[in-house]
Amino acid sequence: MLALLIVGSFVLLSATYGQGSRGFQRGVSSVFSPVQSAADRALKPARDLVGWFDQTFDARGENSQLESELVIAREQAVAGQEAMHENAQLRKLLELDRSPVLAASAYDEVTGRVIARSPTQWRSSVTIDVGDGDGVRVDDPVISGDGLVGRISSVGPGSSQVMLLTDHASAITAKVVPVGAQGVIKPEVGNPEDLILDFIDSTTEVHRGQTVVTLGQRAQGLTSLFPPGLPLGEVTKAPIVEQEANEQVDVRPFADLRNLDLVQVLTGGSRG
Amino acid sequence: MILTPKIVARIAAIGFLGVLLQLSFFSRVELFHVSPDVLPALVVCLALLGGSLTGAVAGFALGLFIDCLLVEALGITSLVLLGTGYLAGLFRERFEFHGLLVPALLCMGLTLVAELGFAAAQLLLGVDAPISLLIVRDMLLKSVYAFFLGWPIYLLVRRVLRPALVEEPKVQRRRQPTVLGA
Repeated sequence: MLALLIVGSFVLLSATYGQGSRGFQRGVSSVFSPVQSAADRALKPARDLVGWFDQTFDARGENSQLESELVIAREQAVAGQEAMHENAQLRKLLELDRSPVLAASAYDEVTGRVIARSPTQWRSSVTIDVGDGDGVRVDDPVISGDGLVGRISSVGPGSSQVMLLTDHASAITAKVVPVGAQGVIKPEVGNPEDLILDFIDSTTEVHRGQTVVTLGQRAQGLTSLFPPGLPLGEVTKAPIVEQEANEQVDVRPFADLRNLDLVQVLTGGSRG
Repeated sequence: MILTPKIVARIAAIGFLGVLLQLSFFSRVELFHVSPDVLPALVVCLALLGGSLTGAVAGFALGLFIDCLLVEALGITSLVLLGTGYLAGLFRERFEFHGLLVPALLCMGLTLVAELGFAAAQLLLGVDAPISLLIVRDMLLKSVYAFFLGWPIYLLVRRVLRPALVEEPKVQRRRQPTVLGA
């Protein structure tokens, strides 16, 4: 029996690894997505409670200013933090919708809620409660109010999987503004607060604090999946030695990828 | 453990609930920037009560289910949790234990084994990005969380599967002595 299960695992792995089409899994995921959605809503107060404890631990080592902010945060929690948070996220998304970047690229925005998250850092993905019935397609860009989050990796009738920027298979062409240095944004597996802008031109000097946006390149018949100019992150470490030797700098993503709740899928637009 | 259709249904319900809680709750909360992973601990508890075969089958099924829900390549999680369940079951068959410390320690140790196994599988399949040392912190903290979560999970699973447990001693109620003439 044990041998059968082991062989079964390897057979499944061989059959499904690297395959784009996974109809059976999409079917299962879609069947259970309403249950996941309900569980997500039911468990939100409990998640907020644990989040409050986590923030409290973090704030312990901070100065008195942060402590006073924590007091304010607690008051907000009592006054219906959940609703305020959701409202703020929707407003930010609305602001990004009105930005010239998205207005010019003629995308339609579909708002979705995160209903599940992968338990391991090796696979960085979330499940959202919108699917192909809402117009979502594979490879559509996904944003939060702060910037790019990732892209759609799989779509079912009522739910979709989003491959986050921090997934090891993610790679996005990007440029640093205003200097214009171009490169590829890749994650550092295990560290969701750090991305690496790799393959940058070592003759262009990049500095800490500069903004990184999507390049949205179109070259030799290849088109980027992302519209140009979507905010990605901020350069946090850019030592000259590193730039010259490894052609890379460190970037902190604008979007809080560990605490995603509401996101928008950009559907149907002209890419690149 | 005596496996009847009713008990299998109960195990399936525990697994379903465990996966649902993992995806909707535990994966989305963080303490010290690390999310707990309760699935290896759940498989360990099922294996400690049911033996190596129950543990292996439960691990395989849970892995398959979670990979289906996340639309990931099938097989990796199944293989890792299958091994975890089998090892826990083997421990139960070789050694006798009492109290709750052993299950909690096993949850901790085997969660670390599962995390290492998953990392090894991913590395063998290829990782297209640099790997941060923070992944080690992630694995260690997940194991520590499994220690603390292992207790309630074990108690809960034991309670749900009590009718099937052979060695579970029956709760005896002591009758109050009747005082004559009172």
